[in-house]
Amino acid sequence: MFARDAGLLQGTLELLVLKTLSWGPMHGYGIASWIERTTGDVLRVEEGSLYPALYRMTRKGWLESEWGTSENNRRAKFYTLTAEGRRQLDEQTSGWERLASAVSHAVRTTEAPEWAR
Amino acid sequence: MSLRDRLRGLRRLLERAPDREVDEELRFHLEERVRDYVARGMDEDAARRAAFERLGDLDGVRDDCVRLLTAERRARRGRSWWDDLRQDARHGVRSALRTPLLTGMAVAILALGTGANAAVFGVVKSALLDALPYRDGGRLLRLWAASEDGSEERAPLTAGALADLSARVHAFEETAAFYPTPYDVSLTRPDGPHVLMATRADPALFDVLGVRPEIGRIFTLEEVEAYTPVAVLDWSTWRTEFDADPEVVGRTIQVDRQPYVVVGVLPRSFVGPTEPADLWLGSSLRRWADDPERARTSRWFAGVARLRPGVSVADARREVAAVAAELAREHPESDAGWSARVVPIRRAMVGDARLPLLILMASAGLVLLIACANLAGAMLARTSSRRRELASRVALGAGRGRLARQLLTESALLAGAGVAGGLAIAILALAAARRTTAGVLPPWVDLHLDGGVLAVMALVAVAVTMAVGLAPALSASRTDVQGALRGAVGGAGEAPGGSRLRGILLSTQIALSLGLLASAGLLARSLWAMGTTPLGYDPHGVLTVSVKGPVPARDADRRRFFDALAEAARALPGVSAVATTDALPTPDMPRAELGVPGAMRGNGALTAAIATVSDDYFETLGIPVRQGRAFDTREEDADAPAVIVAEGLARRLWPQEDAVGARVRLATSGAERSATVVGVVADVRADPTLRSATATVYVSRRQDALRSSRVYLLRTAGEPAALVRPFRRALTALDPTVPMADVGTLEGAVARRYDGLRLPALLVGAFALLALLLTSMGVYALFANLVASRERELAVRMALGATPGAVAVLVVARGALWLGLGLAGGGVGVVLAGRALRALLFEVSPLDPAALLVAAAVLVASAGLALLTPIRRTTRAAFRSVVR
Repeated sequence: MFARDAGLLQGTLELLVLKTLSWGPMHGYGIASWIERTTGDVLRVEEGSLYPALYRMTRKGWLESEWGTSENNRRAKFYTLTAEGRRQLDEQTSGWERLASAVSHAVRTTEAPEWAR
Repeated sequence: MSLRDRLRGLRRLLERAPDREVDEELRFHLEERVRDYVARGMDEDAARRAAFERLGDLDGVRDDCVRLLTAERRARRGRSWWDDLRQDARHGVRSALRTPLLTGMAVAILALGTGANAAVFGVVKSALLDALPYRDGGRLLRLWAASEDGSEERAPLTAGALADLSARVHAFEETAAFYPTPYDVSLTRPDGPHVLMATRADPALFDVLGVRPEIGRIFTLEEVEAYTPVAVLDWSTWRTEFDADPEVVGRTIQVDRQPYVVVGVLPRSFVGPTEPADLWLGSSLRRWADDPERARTSRWFAGVARLRPGVSVADARREVAAVAAELAREHPESDAGWSARVVPIRRAMVGDARLPLLILMASAGLVLLIACANLAGAMLARTSSRRRELASRVALGAGRGRLARQLLTESALLAGAGVAGGLAIAILALAAARRTTAGVLPPWVDLHLDGGVLAVMALVAVAVTMAVGLAPALSASRTDVQGALRGAVGGAGEAPGGSRLRGILLSTQIALSLGLLASAGLLARSLWAMGTTPLGYDPHGVLTVSVKGPVPARDADRRRFFDALAEAARALPGVSAVATTDALPTPDMPRAELGVPGAMRGNGALTAAIATVSDDYFETLGIPVRQGRAFDTREEDADAPAVIVAEGLARRLWPQEDAVGARVRLATSGAERSATVVGVVADVRADPTLRSATATVYVSRRQDALRSSRVYLLRTAGEPAALVRPFRRALTALDPTVPMADVGTLEGAVARRYDGLRLPALLVGAFALLALLLTSMGVYALFANLVASRERELAVRMALGATPGAVAVLVVARGALWLGLGLAGGGVGVVLAGRALRALLFEVSPLDPAALLVAAAVLVASAGLALLTPIRRTTRAAFRSVVR
C-alpha cells in the first residue's frame, strides 16, 4: 500500500475523497490531483475506481453533485460534502487513525514472540 | 459557482440522459489529464495515450457509472410505484420466459387448480347457497312421517295427521299438502297421445311457497271441492305442448280423455318441492281429513309448512315431535309407531347431493393448496439460486423491500396468468357439467359463471399470490449479503433456512395428497362394492317400457289390453321372457302398510314397498322363490286376495312361524284389504346405494287394477334396444292411441342410481391423481436441489471411497425426514377424511386398511420414482469429475 504504483483499498479511497471535499466542492479530476499532491505522489488514485466510488458515495447520500464551470471555463460535475458525508469523514478518520497506530505499533515492536526466541 | 449556474446545472441534470452525462464528465477528466501531461512536456498524442491508459478500462468505468447514476437518479426522483410496478412486471415476464417449460407448467397447474375450484364452487353455491325460487325460502319446511323403528325416514303422512299437525303446531304459520310423486297421464294431441306427469296439490301450496302464476291463476279451493276439472300448466309444458300460446288460459284440454280447463301457467323459474310435474291438479286435504274412514289410512300426502316469524326450526321440530306423540296416543291403530319430521326445504330438495358436493369442494380446495405449496417451493428454490444476483442488487443499493416487492410481482403475474387460464377452464367445466349432471343435482341449480364465482376467483388469485410469493420474498429480504457475494454456500444450493421451509412445504403436500388418495381409494372401493354386491335380481338384458293403458276403460277391458300386449311381446323374436309390474325395483316404489291381524296394534305394522306384478315377474327377473309359489291363475279368484312377501319382511313379521298361509292386512293408497301370503321370495335391493334389502311385498296384477300404466320387462339374450321398434309396432297394432314412455334398460335404471356417487368419485379420483403428480414433482425438485447443493461434499465422499449406495442413502436420509412427517400428517388427514366420507361409504370402513395402504404405497412409489433421477446423478461417473 505504501509502495509506488500500488492500488488503494476502496475504503481508504472514500476517506481521502471525503477529506478532499471537506475543503469545498470540487470535480473528479481535481479530487484525484489533490490526493496525489497531498500524499506526495505516494498514493496514485486508481482512476478507474474513482468515479464509480464518487457515484456510490452520492447514492449513499454522502455527496451531492451539480454541474458547474471549472477554473478554465469548461463544464464539469462538482461534488459537495453533505452533513452525512461530514459525519462519515469524522468516523472514518478516527477509525483510520486507530488502525494506523495499531499497525505502526506492531511493525515497530522489538519484543519477539515465543516461537522465535 | 453562481446561483444561476447552479439552477442551470440543476435543470440540465434533470434533462440529460445518464450516459451522456457520464460521458461528459469522463471527457472532462481525460482532457484535464491530457492538458496536464502536455503542460509537463509530453506531445499531444503521447499525452492522450497515457491519459487513457491511466484511466484504465474506459468502457467498464463508463458502464458502472451509468448504472450507478441511473439508480441514483431513480432513487432521488422517487419514481412512482406504478413505474416500478411496470418495470417489475417486465422483469418478471422476461425472467419467466427464460424458463418457458417451468413457467408453462406452473401456469397450467394454477389454471387447473383455480378453474376446478371455481367450477365446483359455482355448482355448490348454486345448490346450497342460491336463493330458492320461493318467497323467503329459508322459512319453508318439508314435513315427513318417520317410523319409530327407523325403517322409514321420509314417509308420506296421512290426511288426518297432516291436518292435525297443521292445526296444532303453533310454529307453523300456514301449511299445504300435495302428492309427492307425480303419475303419468295421457294428453290428447292432434298427433297422438303424449304422456305427461301430473300431480295434485292443495291450492294453498302456491301461497305457502309464495309463487304467483305467470299467466292466469291457480285453481281455488271452491273449484277443487266442487270437483271442477281445472288444471295449471308447468312453464315448459306450456312451451312444448302448447307452443307458448298466450291464449291458453280458458282452453279445454283432454287429460286421460277427460276435459280439463287450463286456468294458469306457472312461472319459468318454478321448481316444485316434488319430482318435476308437467300438470298440476287440485286436491283438498280437508275433504280427506274430514272423512272418518279415510283420514287415518290415506298415507300418501306430503306437506310443506311456513315457519311463523321469530320461530326457529328447532322450536318447530320440538312441537312437531310432541304433536306426533299425541296423535300416536289418540289414534293407536294408525299412528302408533309413527313420528313426524321437519326438514328445511333446501335440505330436503338438495337431499343426497349435499355431501358429495361438499366433498368435491374440499378436494378441489386441497388440490389448489397442494399446487400452491408446490409452486411456493419452486419459487423458493429459484430465489435461492438467484441469491448472488439478489445480493449484489442489495449491495448496489436496492432496498430489500423493493426486492421483495419485485418477487411478489412475479408471483402475482404467475397467479394472474393461472387465474385467467382457470377462468377458461371453469367456463368449459360448467358447460360440461350442464350436460352431464342433469338429475344428479337439485333442479334449480343454474350452472353458469356468475358474479359470486368471479369474486371468489379474484380472492383465490390474491391468496395464491401471497401463498406462492410470500415465502421467497421473505427469504430474499433476509439474504445475507456478504455471504452470498462470497458464495459461502457451495454449488447451486441454498441457505439451510430455505431448505427447511421447502421441506415443510413438501411434507404438507405429501400429507394432503395422502388424504386425497385415501379418499379416492375409499370412494372407488365403495363404488366397486356397490356394483358387485348382488342386487337380488338379474338386471342385464332387460328392456323396460312404460305403457299407459287406454282410458277411460273398464278394468276388465284394460286388463285384456295389457294381457294382449304381453302376449304379443312374448311372440317377438329374441324375447325369452316378458313380465309386467307397476314399478321398477327402485327406491321410488310406492309404499304400503302391512299389519299382522291380532298382533299388537301399531307395533305390528310395517311399511314396505309394494309392486303389482304379473305371474312371471319373478322368473323374468331371476328372483328365486324361497317358499310357497309365485302368482298364477288362482289369483283370478277375487275373494282370495294373495300376497307374496320378501324373505326379510317375512322374518320380521313372522319370526317364529311359517309365513306361507299367514294372514296379513295390507293398506295402500285407496285400498285396504286382508290377504293371505302364498309365497316368500328372495330379497331385492331396490336401492343399490344401500346395503340392506328393501322390504317388499308383491300383489298379483290380477287382483289389483288401480294403476293405469304398466311397465313391461322384456328379457332378451341380445341387445335390449333392438326390441324397441318391434314392441312399438306390436303396441300400435293393438291400439294406436296408446302412448309408450320411459323406454330404457333395467341396467340403465340401476346405473342411474349410482350417478350421484359415481361422478364425485371420478372427480375426486382425478383430483387425487393431479395431487400425486404435483407432489412427485415437488419430491423430485427438493431432492434434485439437495443433491446439487451437496454436490461437492458427496463427490468428495465418493472419491474417498464411499459406495454409490451409501451416498444415495445419505441423500435419501436427509429428505426421508420430510417424507415421514408428511405421511404421519397424512395419516391424521385420512382419519378426518374418513369421518367425512362415512355417509357415502358402502360396506367400507372409513379406516379401511386396504385403501389406506394402497394410497400410502402409491404415494411412496411415486416419490421413489421421483427420487430415481437425482440419486442416479450421484452415481454417475461425470459426477466424480466435480472433484478436481
